[in-house]
This record gives sequence, structure tokens and C-alpha cells, in this order.
Amino acid sequence: MALPNQQTVDYPSFKLVIVGDGGIGKTTFVKRHLTGEFEKKYEPTIGVEVHPLDFFTNCGKIRFYCWDTAGQEKFGGLRDGYYVHGQCAIIMFDVTARLTYKNVPTWYRDLCRVCENIPIVLCGNKVDMKNRQVKAKQVTFHRKKNLQYYEISAKSNYNYEKPFLYLARKLAGDANLHFVESPALAPPEVQIDMAAQKEHEDELVKALIQPLPDDDDDDAFD
Amino acid sequence: MDDLEKAILIIFDESGTVTSVLKSQAVAFCQQIKDSPSICSICIERLCFSKLVQVQFWCLQCLHEVLRARYSGMSTEEKTFVRKSVFSMACYDNANSVKVLDSPPYVKNKLAQILVTLIYFEYPSVWSSVFLDFIPNLGKGGVVIDMFCRVLNALDDELISQDYPRTPEEGAVSVQIKDAMRQQCVGQIVHAWYDIVSLYKNSDSVLCAFVLDTMRRYISWIDIGLVANNTFLPLLFELMLAEGLPDQLRCAASGCVLAVVSKRMDPQAKLTLLQNLQMSRVFGLVAGDGDSEFVSGLASLLTGYASELLDCLKHLNGGDVKQSSVDLLNEVLPSVFYIMKNCEIDSTFSIVQFLSGYVAMMKTPSPLTESQLFHLGQILEVIRIQIRYDPIYRDNLDVLDKVGKEEEDRMVDHRKDMLVLLRNVGRVAPDVTQVFIRNSLSSAVGSSLDINVEEVEAALSLFYAYGESLSEEAMKTGSGILRELVPMLLSTKFPCHSNRLVALVYLDTITRYMKFVLENNQYIPLVLAAFLDDRGIHHSKVKVSRRASYLFMRVVKLLKSKLVPFIETILQSLHDTVSQFTSVDYASKELSGSEDGSHIFEAIGLLIGMEDVPLEKQSEYLSSLLTPLCQQVEILIASSRVQNSEDSPSKVANIQQIIMAINALSKGFSERLVTASRPAIGLMFKQTLDVLLQLLVVFPKVETLRSKVTAFIHRMVETLGSSVFPYLPKALEQLLAESEPKELVGFLVLLNQLICKFNTSVQEILENVYPVIGGRIFSILPRDSIPSGPGSNTEEIRELQELQRTFYTFLHVMATHDLSSVFLSPTSQVYLDPMMQLLLFTSCNHKDLVVRKACVQIFIRLIKDWCTRPEKVPGFQTFVIEAFATNCCLYSVLDKSFEFRDASTLALFGEIVLAQKVMYEKIGNDFLIGFVSKGFSAAHCPQGLAEEYCQKLQGNDMKSLKSFYQSLIENLRTQQNGSLVFR
Repeated sequence: MALPNQQTVDYPSFKLVIVGDGGIGKTTFVKRHLTGEFEKKYEPTIGVEVHPLDFFTNCGKIRFYCWDTAGQEKFGGLRDGYYVHGQCAIIMFDVTARLTYKNVPTWYRDLCRVCENIPIVLCGNKVDMKNRQVKAKQVTFHRKKNLQYYEISAKSNYNYEKPFLYLARKLAGDANLHFVESPALAPPEVQIDMAAQKEHEDELVKALIQPLPDDDDDDAFD
Repeated sequence: MDDLEKAILIIFDESGTVTSVLKSQAVAFCQQIKDSPSICSICIERLCFSKLVQVQFWCLQCLHEVLRARYSGMSTEEKTFVRKSVFSMACYDNANSVKVLDSPPYVKNKLAQILVTLIYFEYPSVWSSVFLDFIPNLGKGGVVIDMFCRVLNALDDELISQDYPRTPEEGAVSVQIKDAMRQQCVGQIVHAWYDIVSLYKNSDSVLCAFVLDTMRRYISWIDIGLVANNTFLPLLFELMLAEGLPDQLRCAASGCVLAVVSKRMDPQAKLTLLQNLQMSRVFGLVAGDGDSEFVSGLASLLTGYASELLDCLKHLNGGDVKQSSVDLLNEVLPSVFYIMKNCEIDSTFSIVQFLSGYVAMMKTPSPLTESQLFHLGQILEVIRIQIRYDPIYRDNLDVLDKVGKEEEDRMVDHRKDMLVLLRNVGRVAPDVTQVFIRNSLSSAVGSSLDINVEEVEAALSLFYAYGESLSEEAMKTGSGILRELVPMLLSTKFPCHSNRLVALVYLDTITRYMKFVLENNQYIPLVLAAFLDDRGIHHSKVKVSRRASYLFMRVVKLLKSKLVPFIETILQSLHDTVSQFTSVDYASKELSGSEDGSHIFEAIGLLIGMEDVPLEKQSEYLSSLLTPLCQQVEILIASSRVQNSEDSPSKVANIQQIIMAINALSKGFSERLVTASRPAIGLMFKQTLDVLLQLLVVFPKVETLRSKVTAFIHRMVETLGSSVFPYLPKALEQLLAESEPKELVGFLVLLNQLICKFNTSVQEILENVYPVIGGRIFSILPRDSIPSGPGSNTEEIRELQELQRTFYTFLHVMATHDLSSVFLSPTSQVYLDPMMQLLLFTSCNHKDLVVRKACVQIFIRLIKDWCTRPEKVPGFQTFVIEAFATNCCLYSVLDKSFEFRDASTLALFGEIVLAQKVMYEKIGNDFLIGFVSKGFSAAHCPQGLAEEYCQKLQGNDMKSLKSFYQSLIENLRTQQNGSLVFR
């Protein structure tokens, strides 16, 4: 599971394969986890970076060996050979680039050819960006294949732990497993105010269901 | 183990014990072998003798790669060799060698992928017998059957299925393959499937399920008669009905039936097919264990079946067939409702879509049948269950932690569609809907302790949603159930009223129906009780009591004069809340956006600010509120003066709360009342203003207080009107003491308000402050563009942009309110030149076209005011002609980035043309000489066009001038063809 000179550990660890088109933020995503970033090992010869990402659950520590296969085409590496012995996976796309979502089924197929019946999370990355092309409602692939879907923003750490928590629960067979401590993450590079975003969306919803206001508010200068 | 095998093991190594150097050597070695001309035979040889799965995988991967890349260049012999070898591996042949089929699934899938690659290149032209060759081998047993399924699945995934993006070539090949298979072998394959399932159903259910899952993929494009017949269907139903069989197999069978049901075909034929299925056989099975795989598969089958029937019903005409569809639909609907209420629904099926479709069918004029009415009742029941929260989240939702928040968001989203459906049902069957809502609400109200929070919340939410489609008239008169339910609700306190969700939806609901109370004043005491006791403002949860404050304010706005007799009671009841709001303790609690609790003061202000309240009472009420608040501020100020120490955040927060309270309170008092009819009240506000203005002196550096005081000045400008004047010089001086961009923006906004309200009356004030503002602004704002692009997205730059925008608005407001002479006052004059340069630069270059337009408008006003005879501002006219006219009106427009198809550009263009007209009118020939003779000719404008321009300019038709100038510009652009750089 590990790469040359990479430390192995005495707590449960799993090989996690992360796939998706180039440029969608896979590497940024795994690099947010600081200890993993610190201990990662790069194998230029086969074009893969393996990041050991530790998480602290109520049942103890677990480790995901996160196989980031960025640039594999260029290196003529193992291609789907990387997936061998994969125990769980993240398929990622970029919500600001429609084509990367269109290719999700192909990534899924190639992954499943090698890893039958492993838990898989679909992640839509870059939800902090304004020029979104794939709306949440348009993401339907996961429903056809019974995958879990999360919207994430690697740059702002939004929903960072969600995919890992889902996979950890599936792998442990314990739906109540939870993280007891947050991993050290790199500080957000962009401050997206998801709360405000949510509030904004809620307001839109409220606006739809609420009758028109009784009169004009006179609070223009407040 | 030979070298290749060793190398492969090394590149696949995950033990962490191999060094990087060795690994890269291995990679290079493998690559070298891959490039050898005999690579196919090397791989095939290894596959026959190596038991190492890594080696097998590598060899298969390599073969696949070679076939994809070099197929057309391979010799016939080599192709034949590969084909034969691979096929014999897939058929478990070669008695003496290693068998790939004994390896893990991923190796077998890789083998299947190679076979599919060969099929892609060779079927049906070269290797027409591939499927027919396979079939006799299936007799060898499970291993080969499993492999056959893998090949068919891979064929579907790699070539046929529509789920993947494909190139047009791949699409064409897929059609070719399907056609050939339909003609040649599909029948035999289906027979083989049938035989396998019949043979193995009791002994190898996993294998049978695998076969059926494969078959399910093919049903959509093969002759449906091969499966939907008297042989195969009985087998599939037998499997579904056989309770002893494993879930997986029964589920696979139901998947196949669903594929049959979903097959795209003509509605008449579809109906016949659906009739023949005799689906009712399996309805009963859905009542089994809801968590089982089979029941969820069956649920998908039945909902899919019902959707298809609904589709038939929509598309079929003719009484008989319609009736048959209705009969079948009526037969299955109870099971569908059961599923919706009890099962996990397949996420590709949309309950709302299906039910909405069903309800839409009923919009025909014919009266509803008994069974339709019954079904509508069922639909309402489904809605009620679907919008109900799960009790496991009760605590999370009550305290609104992370989990609770997520669940609430999910539900808000989920309810949207459900409530649209409710409205549709309400339209088709208003009576049934009303009765349903009344019953659920009455049972929530009437029940004792045993009813749970979620039921109550759902019942209230339904009643709340019901109000959405009611007309104003229906609300007021209390038509239908309102007359009964609104009073009932107003006098109800639920045992679970302490729950956040219940309390919130309760308040929202009674607020929604307040128009009924407006017409039925006898219920006002009930309304007041609901808002004032622990169901509302005195609720134990802050979130509820703040929401209650806000809603109460809205209720007061609506009922206003009807509440006069109750003012005393209301004030008494709110006494504690009011004093709490400004207490130190309360201020430290989190302030949440708009619902900060100050609405309670707004409500009180609205109540006591009415003219209906006698003056004596009014001043008594107001002073009882204002006096202690002002005293509190004065005490805090005094203590600050004494201590002269750092001001604690809690003190600042406390003062802030007080200002917010006073501010909100004052909203209820109109300018007319305060200045004309009851000046005594006005005096009280002036005194308050006096006190609060001291804050600017005592806490000059506390930004939050400054902005709150500024907001209060805004308010007082509106309330006190021109009697606020005496306070302004001092206040403005204090506000100007700080000169950060952010503060300047706030200051300019205040000035804008003053100018818009009082016009030229504020000239003197402006003459005093403008030099100070000018000094600040021109030292802060850059003379040209504020940096943009990557790296400039900082808070500082955003503040500068904001300041710049506000400053332009300020100049615009000044110019358009006849205040341009302020710019010319002796103390301001030094800023005239930088101001004009800034305006010029901005009108030509700013990236925001709206800002550019505003600047052109400022120019227009200044030209009107200053281009007079004798010259009011020496040199201005020359500047206008040489700088503004040439650069802004000509060159900036000639630039290709000036896009005439863009609406805001066009609006800017309109102003630019207007500016020319105004310049001509004010300046006359000098303008023509400077602009046309010099400017146009420098841009190589043909003489004819220039003359025509002068004519148009002298005419009265602005529209034709505008369109002419546009064509002139476009003309010049094509002439230059981008070769002339103007600036």
C-alpha cells in the first residue's frame, strides 16, 4: 500500500484511489491535509503521489493512503494498474467545467473494472467559484450507480471531511462512526462564505413561499 | 521467475520495501519489453504459464494497449494468434496451462476488455462467430458462464450503453454490432440465459443473478418478444415469488421485469405488454422486510410500472384502452402509496413527478370518481409523511447543531416540491384538501401529550403552506376552514411548544393568517397572547423569541390602529424584554443578522408613534423608553471619561444595542408628526441626538459605534427634516475626524442623503466640508485605474473601489442638484483640476460602464452650468473641447472595446451623444472647430461625413444624430482597420 520508504502504521489503513480529469483539483484536495502533505512520497517514475491521510474516529485512528494519479498519462505509468487493491475511491469533477462531469461515467467504469464493489464517493469540486457550469440538480450520475455525492471546495476546505467520513463508515460497516477531531488542514485560500450562500439560497426559498410583504420597508438607510 | 516477471512484481510493489532506483529500473525494463515487436506472443506465453496475478494483469493490459494502438498494422497471422489464444483463455481451454479464469475478477475483467476490443475491430466482418463460438462452451459450467457475462457486460460498458460519452465512430460501430447480433445470435444468447437460470436457480443463485443482471442491460435493444413471452416471464415471476430464494436473485429478476416494463415502445403495444404481465401477482410482496434488497428492487419495479401506465393513459385515446390503463393503475396505486409511505424510494424515481402527473390527469372537467378522490386522500397522506421530520434528529434540530442544520436544509429543499404538489391537489380537490388539513391540525391540537413533535410540526407546516394559494379576500373573510382553524390555533398551546421548530412554524403560520384577524378584531387578544407569552417573545429559545419580535413587528404594522386600546398591556408585557435588550448580559449574546431582536423596539415605535395616541400619553411612553436609554449612554460615557482606559468590548456592544434600539424605535414616528403636529416629540429626539452625538467625541476610534451613530443620523434626517440642520456641522466635523476609505464612504453616503433631501439648502454645509473631502479623496484615490486582475482582490483594493464608486455618486448628486458652484468656492478651487482630470480619465477608461456614464452626465451638467458667456470658469471651455470632447466623445468610442451590441455601452453612448449636443448648444462654433475640424480630421474622417455630422448636430432629432454618429464611428473603425492607435 505504501511506497518506497513510506512508513507503515499499526492502525487500520486503506488504499484510496482518487480519479478524475486533469486540472479539476485532485492534488489540491489531497494536499489540504497537512500531515499527509508532509509525509507524502512521490514516485516520478510511475507518476503517482501517495498521501497518507490520518483521521481520528471514535473507534480510533484510521489512515487513507490516498493515491493521487495526477499526470499518469504523461508518464506512461501503470494506468488502471494503480487501481489494483483499491479499497475505496473518490471520483472527482469540476463544477465549473462541464466536460469533467461528462467523463465521470468513464472514470467510474474504468475503476469498477478493477475494483468491484468498493465504496465510491463522487465529489463536485470548486463550488466556491462563481462561474459554475454543473448545477447541483444536474448531478445525477451518483443516483444511477448508488454512489454518495458531495459538493466540495478544496481551496476553502468546504466539506473536506465528508467524503472521508462516508468512506470510513462504509469500510468500517458502522453508520454511526464519526470523526472526533479535525485533521490539520491548510488554511482556506479563498474565503467562501458558505453560510451566507446557504442563507442566500434559503432566502430565495423563503421568498418563494412567503406572501408578498405588506408594505414597503422604510429601512433604506439602515 | 524470469526477469520480466520480477520487474512486474517490482512495479506493482506496495509493500514499501522496494527502493526508488530499483523501481525505476523495473519500469524501464518493462517498457523496453513492451516496445519489442514480439510483445503479443511474449504476453500470451506468460499468460499461459505465470500464476502471478500481477504478471497476468500486466500482460493483459499490455495486450489491450497493443491492440488499441497497433491493430491495423498487425499481420493476419498475429491477429489470428491473439484471437485464438485469448478466446481459449476465456473458454477455460488449454488443459495443461495456467488458467486466467481462476484469477481474481479484475484479471478476468481485463480479459473481457480485450475480447471486446477484438469484437470492436472484428465483429461481424472478420470474427463473425465469436458469440456462437462461446455458447457451446457455457456447458463447461459457472466459470465460463461468469466469463461470458463479463464479456457481455464489458461490451455494454465499452461500446453500447448510452451512459458514456462516445465518438461518432464508436456510435456507428455500436449500431453495426447490435444489428449483427440481432440478426445472428441474440435469440441463442437469450435461450442460453434461460437455460442457465433454469438449471442453476437453486444451486448457484449468485451466478443466476449475475446472468440476469447482464440480461437486464440488453433488454432495451433486443426483440422484447424474446423475454416478454410465456416462457421467460413465468420464470422471472417464479423467481420473484419464491420466498426461499436469496434476495439478490429475486432482485435481479425484478430488475429484468423492470427493464421489460420500461422498454420504449408504442403506447398501445406497451399497454398490451403491461396487461400480460399480470403484475398484481407480486403486489403483496412489497409488504415484506422494507430494508431488504428485494423489496427495494420490487418497489422500483412497481413505481416504474405505475409510471408507464400513467404514460399510456396520457398518450392513449379511446374509451376502452383508457379504461384498461385506469383499471391497471387503480390496481397498483395502493401498493405505490404503501411504498411511498414505508419504503426507501429508488432515487431515480421522483415521487413528486409521478404524483403530479397523476393529479394533472384529473384536471379534466369530468367530476372526480370515488377512487380518484380516495387516491387524492392517499396522496395528501404521502405528502404529510414526506414532509415530516425524522424523530431521530429531534434534538439536533431543536438546538440546531451541525447535523440539525443539515437536516433542516435538506427538508427545506425536499418540501419545496412536495408543497407544489399539495397546491396542485388543492386545486383539483379543494374540499378533500381542506378536510385533510383540518383533520391533521385538529388531531395535532386536540391530542394530549402522546402526539410527537414531528406530527405537530408537519400539521402546522401543511396549514402554513395551504395559505399560500389563498386569495386576499379568502384570507380576510376566513372562507372555508380558516374561520374555524385560525381561532383554534390562536388559542392553542402545544405540549411541545418549547420545541424550536414547532414554535417557529406556529408563529409563521399565525402571522400568515393575520389578515383574517384584521377583519375579525375579537381575536386580537388571542393574537397578543400568542406573541407575548412563552409561545412568542417570551419563548425560552432566543432564536424563537427574536423571530417572534420580528413577526410581532409585522403584525403591528398590519393591525396598527386596532391595537391602540392594548398599548398599555403590550408595553407592560414587553417591559422585561425591552430592558433585557440593552443590558450588558444580553448584548454579549450572538447577534444574528437581521433578526437581532431590535424589532421589538420597532414594534413599540410603530404603536406609540401613531397619531391616534394622545400627545400626553405619547410623550409619557416615549420618554419612559428614551430617558433610561439615554441615561444609560450618559453613564457609560461618563465612566469612559473618568477611566480614560481602553473601552471594553462589552461596553461598546452595550452602547451599540442601545443605539439600535433607539433607531428602531424612531422608525414609528413620521416627519409630519415630529416636526409639524407635535414638536414636543421632536424635541425628545433632538435631545437624544445630542446625547448620541457625544459618542463620536468620546469614542472616535470605535468603528462600530461610528457606523451606528451615522445610521441614527440618517434616521434623524428623515424624521426631523430640516430641523436637524443645527446638529449637522458638529456631527459632520466629528465624522470627518477619521479618514479611512471605509469611513469616508459612510460619510459620503450621508452627504448624498442630505443633498437628495434638502437640495441647495445644504450648500453652505457642503462648502465647508468639500475642501476637506477633496483633500482626503485625492490623496487616497489613484489618478488612473485601480489595479485589477490577479492578486488585486484584497480588502484594501475593494475598499478603494467602493470609495471611488461612492465618490462618483457624490459628484453626480452634487452636479444634478444644482450644487456645482460648491466646486468653485475659494477653498475648493484647488481640487478643481484633479477632479476634472479624474472625471476625464474615468469617463474614457473605467471598466464599469455605468460609472463612465455617470461621469459623462456630470460633464454634461458642468458644461451647462459653466460654459457661459462671459466664461464662469476660465479655461474650462478649452478643456472641454480639447480634452473631454476629443478623448471621451471620439477616441474612447472609436476603441474596438466599445461594443455597440452591449446594452450598457449603448446607454453610455447615448449620454456621449447628448454631451456633444449640449456642447454645441453652449459653445457653438468653437466646439465645431475643435471637435470636427481638428478631432475628426486627425481620425481621418472623410469630409462628407464630417459635414453631415455638423448638419445632424444642428438639427433637433437626437435619435437620428445618435444613429448617425454610431454609423460614423463604425465607418471610421473599418477605415482604420485597427492600424491607427489613438491613445
